[in-house]
Amino acid sequence: MNTSVMPAVSEQQILEIINRFQGKPGALLGILETVQESNPHKYLPEETLQLIAKHTGTPLSRIYSLTTFYSFFNLQPQGEHIILVCRGTACHTRGSRVLLEDLSCLLDCSAFLESGENTFTTKDKKFTIKTVACFGQCALAPVVSIDGVIYSRMTSARLKGIIEKLAKGGKKHE
Amino acid sequence: MEQTTLKKQEGPVTGTVAPSTTKGAATCSITVNGKSYTVPKGKTILEAVSALGYSIPTLCHLPEVCSNASCGVCVVEVKGAKSLLRSCVTKVTDGMDIHLASPRVLTARRTNVELLLANHPKDCLSCLRNQNCELQSIASLLGIESIRFAQTRKRPLSLDTTSEALVRDPNKCILCGRCVAVCSEIQGVNVIDIMGRGSKSQVATFFFKGLGNVACTNCGQCALVCPTAAIVEKDHTGEVWKALQDPKKVVVVQTAPAIRVGLGEAMGMEWGALVTGKMVAALRRLGFSKVFDTQFTADLTIMEEGHELIQRLTTGGKLPMITSCSPGWIKFIEHFYPKSLDHVSTCKSPQQMFGAVAKTYYAEKMGIDPRDMVVVSIMPCTAKKYEAKRPEMMGAFHYWQARLNLLEKDKFYDVDYALTTRELARMLKQASIKFDALEEEEFDDPLGRSTGAAVIFGATGGVMEAALRTAYEVVTKKHLPSVDFEAVRGLDGIKSAEVDLNGTKLKVAVAHTLKNARVLLEQIEKGESPYAFIEIMTCPGGCLGGGGQPIPTNTEIRKKRAESIYREDSRKGIRKSHENPAIQQLYKEFLKEPLSHVSHELLHTHYTERGVY
Repeated sequence: MNTSVMPAVSEQQILEIINRFQGKPGALLGILETVQESNPHKYLPEETLQLIAKHTGTPLSRIYSLTTFYSFFNLQPQGEHIILVCRGTACHTRGSRVLLEDLSCLLDCSAFLESGENTFTTKDKKFTIKTVACFGQCALAPVVSIDGVIYSRMTSARLKGIIEKLAKGGKKHE
Repeated sequence: MEQTTLKKQEGPVTGTVAPSTTKGAATCSITVNGKSYTVPKGKTILEAVSALGYSIPTLCHLPEVCSNASCGVCVVEVKGAKSLLRSCVTKVTDGMDIHLASPRVLTARRTNVELLLANHPKDCLSCLRNQNCELQSIASLLGIESIRFAQTRKRPLSLDTTSEALVRDPNKCILCGRCVAVCSEIQGVNVIDIMGRGSKSQVATFFFKGLGNVACTNCGQCALVCPTAAIVEKDHTGEVWKALQDPKKVVVVQTAPAIRVGLGEAMGMEWGALVTGKMVAALRRLGFSKVFDTQFTADLTIMEEGHELIQRLTTGGKLPMITSCSPGWIKFIEHFYPKSLDHVSTCKSPQQMFGAVAKTYYAEKMGIDPRDMVVVSIMPCTAKKYEAKRPEMMGAFHYWQARLNLLEKDKFYDVDYALTTRELARMLKQASIKFDALEEEEFDDPLGRSTGAAVIFGATGGVMEAALRTAYEVVTKKHLPSVDFEAVRGLDGIKSAEVDLNGTKLKVAVAHTLKNARVLLEQIEKGESPYAFIEIMTCPGGCLGGGGQPIPTNTEIRKKRAESIYREDSRKGIRKSHENPAIQQLYKEFLKEPLSHVSHELLHTHYTERGVY
């Protein structure tokens, strides 16, 4: 990660967000979520976490523990388009592994597949692929979410079509 | 390993089982392995049965430190409960029928330990904690003969070697959480936590920067509570062996006060065994050319620090003044309260004063080239390793630089190697020294002479008491009626007292553990501190409970070590630092007077602001 860039969310903005959550239970999670959403690349850079730690009086280790526990938090800049592939049991039996392999071919990230990591962002920052445990939509397996829209009974051909469209800068949805 | 011995013993069987205890009663009736007992209410099963002669094994529970019920080794069977219960967090209730060693319990314990062992390196033979490892002894205790589960970790995790004092090996970590708890709950430092989730969980620092790159104070309390070798001191015994075998080097050793009450334990003796004379004899047998005492420079510290206090009191200097002997504390204030750094005495710690005096005054006196002298210190402390390598700790080099035309490449530290009590014990064992059979010997002169005031540096409150013994006599010019300042002794977190110095009332406070230090610092930063002089020690109990001391170290053991410290003080002929004849001679021949120019050059230092965020 390039740590020399200025935090995308300013200290002023962070203070405002912290203020908004003052006194609410579980404030820290809400603060982290809101700050992440305010970041143009939807992530929490180190400098941002340091500012949150400083202004909430939370130890850095605690903040890092939280943000590495919840897969929702991103410590790396996210791609323009976020693709979530369900790797739950039902989706797995209905071919979600094949969909992941398709994505790794389309987006040239076969190393990710081997690594056992659960997230990958393409070099051009166009796409982020993440695996998740379950969407709770097992009846519609395999399930893939693209930029927040859930696609059920996904097939290789359909996925390829959407990715190609998005790669060309097309609209998000079919 | 008291806490891991599973013994079946006849408990004090109560005459009758009370049919039903009335509501609000302070006791309840329980049955343990078929025998009935009355136990106090509100206790956990683990606590309740330990008073009945049982000892339930556990790998994560540690009284006063950690009770997060993570290891699953302490499970017991309670009749009527659906599953086995973790005895460390389950409170006893009236009528509870508990089984500590049913087949179900023993099977579950074995399974849980086998699961921990699946990914644990099997290098016990070459592990620093071999034969002093809780995981090893529990595996043996439970009769684990094979591990049914395959290793799931494909590649070893990388070691954290960024710290000057400590090495972390996450492969050996069983995620018990004790280190995280001690760092947060006891020390209030919070530099480690459990990162990630599930099988990828690891104890680590912020962004895996490593202990050397965060606000870690190097106190080593984490290493002291670690059940395995996942956190250990950085071992420097190899370097010391090499120096001892180099005929060109004059290798001298200094021993901190707390070593003489800790080393015996590591050599198989009882808790708190006072082994001053044997320790000296053993060090001579290791091959050190002179066996000196850090207590000599503890007395010197009192001279310098006492006069600094008097100077601050009389010239309107910054008050309260805070002691500077404990290097964990120094790094702590540099990170967390840098605005208050001018409250800290400028005196170097006794370890550093020793190095500086040995390589100047003593080297000069004996005609030794300071470049050929190696100063090894034996410390109850891991932070001393870091302290010895602080760039400003080269007083002797700067002293000699002009005199001997030394170049930058000749640079040397005042203290070359700081070993912990545990490392010294390893060296003594390697050297085939039969410690308990040694005849007692005396320290060498002149840097081995010390007073009772210096001994008590090893216990919380000791530096304060030693300073008061001297300050009283220097200020009042009167003889101190009793040298024992009981008010500053003992294991209370923060102690305070008021001393009358010729009509001037001096309010003083003593704190041990960094969490307690925070309380006094918050007062200072708010401008509300009523004190003139504060002693702060990083570790619980002071140095005798330091992170470099033998494992286990717990409250009971700390108390035994403290008893020995005060016994040693009371049997010393001279008990006030300013009466140490070797110190008087040092001033006469070399330093001239406390706070002199030479003193400032060699015995005083400055601090560095470090951020947390």
